[in-house]
Amino acid sequence: MNERNWRKSLLCWLVLSPLILTTLFPFAVMISTALKPAADVLAYPPRWLPSRFDWGNFVAMWKAANFGVALLNSLIVSLGSTALAILVSVPAAYALARHSFVGRGFYRQFLLFTQMLSPILLVIGLFRLAASIPWGNGTLVNTRIGLIVPYAAFQIAFAVWMLSSYFATIPRDLEEAAWLEGCGKVRAVLRVFLPLALPAMAVTAIFTFINGWNEFAVALTMLRSPSKRTLTVQVVNLVAGRYSIEWNQVMAATLAATLPVAALFAWLQRYLVKGLALGAVK
Amino acid sequence: MTASARRAFAPRMLIAPSFVLALFIIAYPFFDIARMSVYHVSRFGILGGFAGLANFRRIFADPVFIATVWRTLVWTGAVVSGTILVSLPVSLVLNENFHGQGLARTLVMLPWSVSLTMSAIVWLWSFDANHGMINATLQSIGVLRQPVQWMARASTAFPIEILVGILVSVPFVVTIFLGGLSSIPSDIYEAARIDGAGRVQQFWRLTLPLLRPFISLAVVLNVIYVFNSFPIIWVMTQGGPAEGTQILVTYLYELAFRLGRPGEAAAVSLAMLAILMVFTTIYVRMQMRSAEP
Amino acid sequence: MRILALPPEAPPMLRRLTSGLRRAALGAGALGVAAFAPQIARAATVHVTVAYYSAATGPYFKQMAAAFEKTHPGTTIKIDVVNWNNLQQVLQTDVSGGVPPDISIIGTRWLLSFVKDGIAEPLDSFMTPAFRNRFIPVFLKPGEIGGKVYGLPIAASARALFYNKTLLTKAGFPNGPKTWNDVIAAAKKIKAMGAYGFGLQGKEIETDVYWYYALWSYGGHLMGANGKVAFDSAAGVKALTLYKTMVDQGLTEPGVTNYTREDLQNLFKQGRLGMVITAPFLIGQIAKEAPKLAYGIVPVPTGTVQSTYAVTDSIVMFKASKVKKQAWQFLDFLFTKDNRVLFNKNEGFLPTTRAVAADPYFQDNKQLQVFVNLLPKAHFAPVIRGWENVAKAVIDAVQSVYLGKAQPAAALKTAATSADRALAQ
Repeated sequence: MNERNWRKSLLCWLVLSPLILTTLFPFAVMISTALKPAADVLAYPPRWLPSRFDWGNFVAMWKAANFGVALLNSLIVSLGSTALAILVSVPAAYALARHSFVGRGFYRQFLLFTQMLSPILLVIGLFRLAASIPWGNGTLVNTRIGLIVPYAAFQIAFAVWMLSSYFATIPRDLEEAAWLEGCGKVRAVLRVFLPLALPAMAVTAIFTFINGWNEFAVALTMLRSPSKRTLTVQVVNLVAGRYSIEWNQVMAATLAATLPVAALFAWLQRYLVKGLALGAVK
Repeated sequence: MTASARRAFAPRMLIAPSFVLALFIIAYPFFDIARMSVYHVSRFGILGGFAGLANFRRIFADPVFIATVWRTLVWTGAVVSGTILVSLPVSLVLNENFHGQGLARTLVMLPWSVSLTMSAIVWLWSFDANHGMINATLQSIGVLRQPVQWMARASTAFPIEILVGILVSVPFVVTIFLGGLSSIPSDIYEAARIDGAGRVQQFWRLTLPLLRPFISLAVVLNVIYVFNSFPIIWVMTQGGPAEGTQILVTYLYELAFRLGRPGEAAAVSLAMLAILMVFTTIYVRMQMRSAEP
Repeated sequence: MRILALPPEAPPMLRRLTSGLRRAALGAGALGVAAFAPQIARAATVHVTVAYYSAATGPYFKQMAAAFEKTHPGTTIKIDVVNWNNLQQVLQTDVSGGVPPDISIIGTRWLLSFVKDGIAEPLDSFMTPAFRNRFIPVFLKPGEIGGKVYGLPIAASARALFYNKTLLTKAGFPNGPKTWNDVIAAAKKIKAMGAYGFGLQGKEIETDVYWYYALWSYGGHLMGANGKVAFDSAAGVKALTLYKTMVDQGLTEPGVTNYTREDLQNLFKQGRLGMVITAPFLIGQIAKEAPKLAYGIVPVPTGTVQSTYAVTDSIVMFKASKVKKQAWQFLDFLFTKDNRVLFNKNEGFLPTTRAVAADPYFQDNKQLQVFVNLLPKAHFAPVIRGWENVAKAVIDAVQSVYLGKAQPAAALKTAATSADRALAQ
């Protein structure tokens, strides 16, 4: 690369640096505190570097937050809700992208409406709903499925928007060509359309996964036993209403809860943008 | 079956699962809120007598509620406009081809990978007056001589919460903008260059107008998300001190779960929904009007 | 370790709703009607929600459950540990969803709502005179409503002033302050030494209580005889002005509205704070985290009278419970002497039963005796419906005074108006 490009790169990084520094700051705090022994955490004045690296915080936190179990729960709930949301959203998005029909406008309005209802407004009603549905030996309260279904429902609007605007960019002629070759309509969709729609589905799935992974209010209300709680709930439990907060463990927990998603992002970053490029607005 | 009915049948079958699922989850809780808002309700959600509009009258008579409505508008307006203002230049830069572009994009997206609640916890800890790294850093580089009690008063706590709100909203908006930018064909810029348009002119004449639909989308979605956003303020200040950082969601939560007044909380929910619906209707209509040639 | 270990197998908590009957029905089918009653007993699962007090709470109740199950075969005890911040919400949603636990710890100040809404079960029919006699009367009383006992005192504490011996000796009060004037004089000296004098809580739960200490010390009251609030009195203004003056003169930690009780306790443990009013559990925390700290404990400073705040948490049984007999057996078990001694030692609470109070550990504990001796002069939070609304109004008022946004008299007047409006509903 030539010198001009280097200068441009430097300029770009310079413009971005305030934001990037702010973005990295909390990670620096997490790492710094997570590695401090208890005595350092409340030392005054505080220092960035620990007096010694205390990796034991991760072990202590793993036990205290029941981390392994919570991690698994978060995974199950996020993956489950993602799968369900995608499953119902793909046909709906296809309908919106390919057909105009009476009720289309109403359906879109309805989706917007579901976005405006924050789960926190509905949390008591959701709980009552879950408590009224028998499941196994009890009800949907304190079950993972009791989280998966509402999470999926709240993701539908965004998933359908993204998918349908992406689907609209897939040329219709391809399917029509398949019909001419004697493919049935359904088979044409499965054989020709779906493979092309996969990237969009992947991107949408990432969004729904992240939202499920990060949700707090509904999980707090629905889950009771430690064997069911998700990561977010467990980490907040280390902070809220405690007579003493062990910040080094809390930061170790946030860090450990964040890294998997951060890695996922680093890996998928370019696909995300590409997916949104085609999908976001139509 | 008429032809048009037959044509509508297939798409309706396709939307049916999503519609039924969403309706199933939302209908009862929504009905529940609407009903509670017009009843006397005990702390435990037990319905007493019909209350008419008493719950609404009560919240509108509460000076805290009125102040909270205004503060919520400030919160939403500041976070959303701040996010857009930060995201625009950042997306323009990230759309350029430069060394480490992929890394820069990942770093900008990073806050997205932390749940809002955890972000708020980390920032709260960072701003801790005695043990937080903000004060420690500012003191060590000589900006501060005494630790600042950031969360002690709303005049410092609320702006900090807004900044955190902006920071966590930037990744989503940047992603939308980057998508928008990459959908702009590059040949129109070349045509503009040949016509003698400078970079600044290109931005105002080409980029901004072409990005408009993306900006609208970002605004509508963000207004909805930020308006309803609970964790940042709840974790950092719980609406205090002296109600100075209270927004509608935290006010509602407090009414329902701390003060044992679920009827009034339900009324607040409906008021919030009304505000959002008015906003989206007006905004969408304005956008449609100005989008017409 | 902070929170309970994972139970080997945790079925949905609501299992009891259907499982008892279902298993009973299955059992009846298989074994004949004669087996019906024992089958119910065998299927009994008692769901217990407890508040998180410390890292020891979860393990303690797990241990109790295991010990109980051993002597009561067929009964399973399920313990859910919930943080204080969420406890109210959890119980509220559980009840409104129709799926409450069988027994739960609650703040005694919430008890009236539980009773008025018919959620708590009166315990009198279960209580033998001997059982009733286990308790120290002053602690049983807050759980009594309309002549019936609904809540048993599972935890109790009172408040006293902790002082840093090193700082206070240098300030000329080696035995701690007795009056507010002493506090001010000592705080001025401590300030000159570069530490913080008097710790003033200005944030989150119990911010109102911190001001009641001063209110009561000037002979003020929270509620009047007419059922309206009475804290906007001369004593109230005096108490709030006292605190505000200390804030203005820099005799407290800076930015008081940034400090929860826990933050103050941390400052105290670090030796940076001269005085703080708090509960006996700080003793245990200091022993563990700052064993070298030299400190003393004296009664809450007096204005015109001696007073303190006493608070209990209650354990209640739910009316909806289908296993009341087993639930009661577990309560009875919890309130036996050894189990109580262990709990009180773990958590640093005051004894609520006579047998525990007579235990040498508590008899010989000079530090705890300071708290116990204050009990005859203690105020409890008033038992009124919607008490949280009063506390909230007071917190708003004192915070705006500390922040310099309002004058004491005016702020208290506003708080009284809004509290009375909330109480009238």
